[in-house]
Amino acid sequence: MSVEVARLDLRLRRRSSLFYALGVGAYALLIVVLYPSFKDDTSLNGFTTSNPKLAALFGAAGSLTSPDGWMNANLYANFVPLFALLMTIGYGAAAIAGQDEEGTLGGVASLPITRRRLLLEKIAALAVLSLPVPVVSLVAALVGRGFDIELGAGALTQITISSALMAFDLGLLALAVGAWTGSRGTALGVAVAAAGVGYVISSLAPVIDWVHAIRYASPIYWGVGGNQLHDGADTAGFILLVLAAAAVAVLAWAGFRRLDIH
Amino acid sequence: MTDDEAPVVRLVDLTKVFGAVRGVRDVNLEVTAGQTFGFLGPNGAGKSTTIRLMMGLYLPTAGRAELFGLDAQRHGPQLRRRVGYLPGELALHPRLTGREILDRTARMRGQVDKAFRAHLERRFAAELDRPVRTLSKGNRQKIGLIQAFMHDPELLVLDEPTSGLDPLLQKEFADLLEESVARGRTVFLSSHDLDEVQRLAHQVAIIREGRLVASDTIEGLRRRAPRTVELTFRTPVDAAVFAALPGVEVTSHGALRLGCRVSGDVGALFEAAVPYGIVDVSARAANLDELFLSFYATTEEVGADVR
Repeated sequence: MSVEVARLDLRLRRRSSLFYALGVGAYALLIVVLYPSFKDDTSLNGFTTSNPKLAALFGAAGSLTSPDGWMNANLYANFVPLFALLMTIGYGAAAIAGQDEEGTLGGVASLPITRRRLLLEKIAALAVLSLPVPVVSLVAALVGRGFDIELGAGALTQITISSALMAFDLGLLALAVGAWTGSRGTALGVAVAAAGVGYVISSLAPVIDWVHAIRYASPIYWGVGGNQLHDGADTAGFILLVLAAAAVAVLAWAGFRRLDIH
Repeated sequence: MTDDEAPVVRLVDLTKVFGAVRGVRDVNLEVTAGQTFGFLGPNGAGKSTTIRLMMGLYLPTAGRAELFGLDAQRHGPQLRRRVGYLPGELALHPRLTGREILDRTARMRGQVDKAFRAHLERRFAAELDRPVRTLSKGNRQKIGLIQAFMHDPELLVLDEPTSGLDPLLQKEFADLLEESVARGRTVFLSSHDLDEVQRLAHQVAIIREGRLVASDTIEGLRRRAPRTVELTFRTPVDAAVFAALPGVEVTSHGALRLGCRVSGDVGALFEAAVPYGIVDVSARAANLDELFLSFYATTEEVGADVR
């Protein structure tokens, strides 16, 4: 089966995605390489113990000198979601609304392709674009074994999948809003707002009781907030990520089938 | 299944409302196979909206667009296989080359005759190996034209196709269009270039503010259009006598001279002129510009009588 629409969209982002992934990889490797210099610096933990709420806002909670605490505070709780979401929300807003505003979507939609197929290929391209940041981070974490970062393969696999799914879900939200409104700006705005609120909830959940009670309202929490590197898989979060993807895909279809394409 | 006897294009009470003013309303027309149909109107009249409804890109508010006897919404992909489309505001991915764009379009269509495509590339002398962002508007338009023609479709839907083309390429385009029609293809040609439509179209429809105001052959429209008549008299004339005649609009007059525009029968004008002693007369049929403007000046609508 030809997936030419998805290939076209990925081709348009090939170079930028490659350099972006290299940049994220360089940052992740730096974090890994720095760990031996900090692992015995117990004063570092004072940051999270003396002012846990402020530390939580930056994605830091618990021990910062343990391998999982270090990787969470410097990568998985903040930068991985941020870097991955820049890619997926950017594409999600462009895939339908952005391309419609540019006029290029009409060129594809006037070919013998059903709208359902067009949407599925856009979603497939989004799925691919959800992967580079989590995978590059995974590679860096595996390299970390040479720098005293001993993390279980299961925990790493789980957080790689869940962070990719989280990025996919919020990218899909941008795509769905774009499919309903035809407005790239609105799509970006809604998805960025959802990500921002989600980040705050996910970050503060460990230190504020009432935020902890609503933690499952945050897709960021589903993806990276459950301290998966330490506690293992967050099954509830994983299920929510999958269900949300299905629900938002249906929402996207309901909008796209009635969208006036220019 | 398609209905081979059906018109290639049939628009039935086609309506798309964007707001109180914009959109198209109650558009009815038919295009039979093997003809070039000119769709005329100024910018913003509703030409592109009508075309997007035909292509299944817009959902109609009411009515329907049929191609080859099938509803353009319900059977879109099946119908678009048989259609070549050039949008009015052609947008190509700026970082891709023309060749890459045509290759991808061909793969998405899966039905392109490589030899015919190569013929079109040579014929239009298209710049295919430079990124689209570096090309002039005319060179981008060539790529759009090749995209529309390269699968030799049964119906060509072309929205302002010669925009940006130099006169030589306009001639090349006109020749290609005539060859396509000679092979039995049908063309729906939207334009605001009256000369282009006059040269190429068998049938014409004029749209104004979202409503069809005329649909006929060029000759039929010309017959209905006003002629300019200049009369010189032996004795002084009363212009009011002529201004009161049905279908006559006095445009200039002097003591022994009268200029007017006459729609329809000129008999009454000459009957009124004879008593003053006609010394000289000149009559000129409306050119297409005047014809076009005359339809834009009127509020008459013909939505129902052009089906």
